[in-house]
Amino acid sequence: MWTRTKNRVVAGVMILFFLTMSLCTWLKKPDAFSGSERRVLAQFPKLSAERIATGKFMEEFESYSLDQFPMRDTLRSLKAFFTFSVFRQRDNEGIYLAEDYACKLEYPLQEAALDRAAERFTYVYEKYLEDTDSKVYFSIIPDKNFFLAERNGYPAIDYELLINRMKSKTDFMTYIDITDVLSLQDYYRTDTHWRQERILPVAEKLAAQMGTELTGDYVVKTLEQPFYGVYYGQAALPISPDELCYLTNETLESCVVYDYQNEKTGIVYDWEKAYGSDPYEMFLSGPLPLLTIENPNADTDRELILFRDSFGSSIAPLLVSGYAKITLVDIRYLHPDLLERYVEFDGQDVLFLYSTLVLNHSETMK
Amino acid sequence: MVFSSIPFLYYFLPVALVLYFAAPKQFKNMILFLASLFFYAWGEPLNVIWMLLSILVGFCSGWMIEQHMGNGQAKLLLVLSIVIHVGFLVYFKCATVLPIGISFYTFQILSYEIDVYQGRVPAQRNLIRLGVYVAMFPQLIAGPIVRYADIDRALSERTHSVENFALGIRWFVIGLSKKILLANVLGRLCDIFLTSDDKSVLYYWLFGIAYSLQIYFDFSGYSDMTIGLGRILGFHLPENFNYPYIARSVTEFWRRWHISLGFWLRDYVYIPLGGNRVSKKRWVFNIFVVWILTGLWHGVAWNFIIWGLLFAVLLMLEKRWLLKYLEKSRILSHCYVLLSIIVSFVIFYGTNMSDLRNCLGGMIGLNRLPLISKEFLYYLRSYGVILLIGMIGTTPLIKILTGRLAQNSFGKRAVTILEPIVLIGLMLLNTAYLVDSSFNPFLYFRF
Repeated sequence: MWTRTKNRVVAGVMILFFLTMSLCTWLKKPDAFSGSERRVLAQFPKLSAERIATGKFMEEFESYSLDQFPMRDTLRSLKAFFTFSVFRQRDNEGIYLAEDYACKLEYPLQEAALDRAAERFTYVYEKYLEDTDSKVYFSIIPDKNFFLAERNGYPAIDYELLINRMKSKTDFMTYIDITDVLSLQDYYRTDTHWRQERILPVAEKLAAQMGTELTGDYVVKTLEQPFYGVYYGQAALPISPDELCYLTNETLESCVVYDYQNEKTGIVYDWEKAYGSDPYEMFLSGPLPLLTIENPNADTDRELILFRDSFGSSIAPLLVSGYAKITLVDIRYLHPDLLERYVEFDGQDVLFLYSTLVLNHSETMK
Repeated sequence: MVFSSIPFLYYFLPVALVLYFAAPKQFKNMILFLASLFFYAWGEPLNVIWMLLSILVGFCSGWMIEQHMGNGQAKLLLVLSIVIHVGFLVYFKCATVLPIGISFYTFQILSYEIDVYQGRVPAQRNLIRLGVYVAMFPQLIAGPIVRYADIDRALSERTHSVENFALGIRWFVIGLSKKILLANVLGRLCDIFLTSDDKSVLYYWLFGIAYSLQIYFDFSGYSDMTIGLGRILGFHLPENFNYPYIARSVTEFWRRWHISLGFWLRDYVYIPLGGNRVSKKRWVFNIFVVWILTGLWHGVAWNFIIWGLLFAVLLMLEKRWLLKYLEKSRILSHCYVLLSIIVSFVIFYGTNMSDLRNCLGGMIGLNRLPLISKEFLYYLRSYGVILLIGMIGTTPLIKILTGRLAQNSFGKRAVTILEPIVLIGLMLLNTAYLVDSSFNPFLYFRF
């Protein structure tokens, strides 16, 4: 009798489960964007005989069904919870949690990528800087794994080897070590980047090594909304958000930023981006190939050309007081050959400031 | 379409089942055939033509073989038909694009034609019924290889019940969980290993173990889903796996692993060649033919042939000499079987001879690798629990424990309450893993 009852219960419950889930799946209104994953979600694919015959429709329908699944974020959290708590896996798709920080495994050291980065820097140096009076500096920003990985039992790249290899391949530049003025607390818990309000010592050290002095005090301001960094969405776990602070003063507020890509003049902090999908993009409007910051109140006519990645967006404003103009170049989005159209290299200070993450994946550099 | 996908689970399956159960009895086969064509065409829109052509050739040749039964023309027709089907199969195995499931449905059609030729079954007069036998979506992609004689009757006369539904859905959910929660996760470890720059001898062994578990849970999970869906639709499909990793000899392993392929080759190749009731030389020849075919069935590549030959050699060694020693020690026999399986699946994995050399060389330390590496230690810790669950899952331990629990009335009540909760929990987890991950290929789709 129990077997019969059990079979009826199992059949009834499972039919109900499949019908409910299917109905929810079909009836759910599609979302356009996932805030937690910071990406545009797939929409119902275009239907045509050709797209069916080539399998394109089915392929896109698969993505649509995954992206638009009801309670997607909850299910992703369930998976992450199960991965960490039941399977006891050390990471979920490469994201791990340690000391209340979310971080992504960065391993192993890609020596070929380092060599490529060095080759790209050398190319820029030889094409534009070798025959000028420019003083060229280089500094490497360690990612969070530098502080977290090894001491928490995660595989970590050999940072000493990375720095030494880069230094030896770019010996035409003066290397500035900033690892001694950084600590784990200088990074967001849920994001890959460093916190602007904590990196003033880094800016001061870079400025001092480049022979300029930073002046003025800053007021620390905090965005009203919580900051959910890029790892928050990837971890899919209920981690408490960060606060996003920024430093400001009269000098910074008077600076004029010019964006060459969009031919747009603006200010240092982009308020539209501050309340967008990635608030970190409030610093100089996020990833852009070429920008200039002009400081009308500068006591000097010195200029800086900063070859940088996204870490550069939040530190560049802190270097403004030492320069009349800073040009920010991101060679991930702008081929170095095109630089001569926009930038005249005539003795400015030049700083290559790159994070270990970009150096270890330099295939993104043009 | 794959079973472990959102389109299958929450779009195709509910609609197909509702239409199937709502249809009057005389239309059920038609609904099942059309649903199966849709299922196949979803992944391979154009290759559905090859399958339909194979069904048509099978239908015509079956009918003609029966018409000429007892004379030489029947044999000629059978040979001609086999040449066409095997020709298709060999052509596609050598081509760059292999239609999904072609090895499985070709063997099923051959089974039908040989059964008709041998007079075991009458030729099918209804094209749709033969179409259902060949293309039925639960077993179309990755078997088990169902012999026509086994389901001939069910094609025209089958019953549906709540018991069959409950049993089927249970089997399906367990199979799906094996695939998504174990095979896919272990596959991720294999993937990490393959792209690693920090390999070591023990890391190669970790890969070998993980891959052996992955391939087992992948294939047996698919077979479980097939059997479960078949049961829901009223078909009693044969089991394809019976805890092969607890075998104490390679001979026993092959009685427990991919049972339907073993039976097929035994019934349609080994026995017609004379089996073991022949001279020693001829027996050795028969064994080699069967195992080379087993290898080639998986793909036209040297690694599959070597894989088949390895088993041929091991089986002959066991028959002649080794079995009596293996029977003496339980531990030794298990170690021998597991070692043979791991090595064989590393050979099976190799996509070319260079991969094969690297993997086997890496396992015995020939590649100047360290014994352990930082990455090996990390992933051993990270995947330790899954590997343990996987190892337990290859034994009948859970089946024995739940069987014991259900022996008294308290246990029966507990199982009645817990089973639907566990099944729903597993479905939610499977869905969560699917929604979050794009790593989902079925290994046996290659064949």
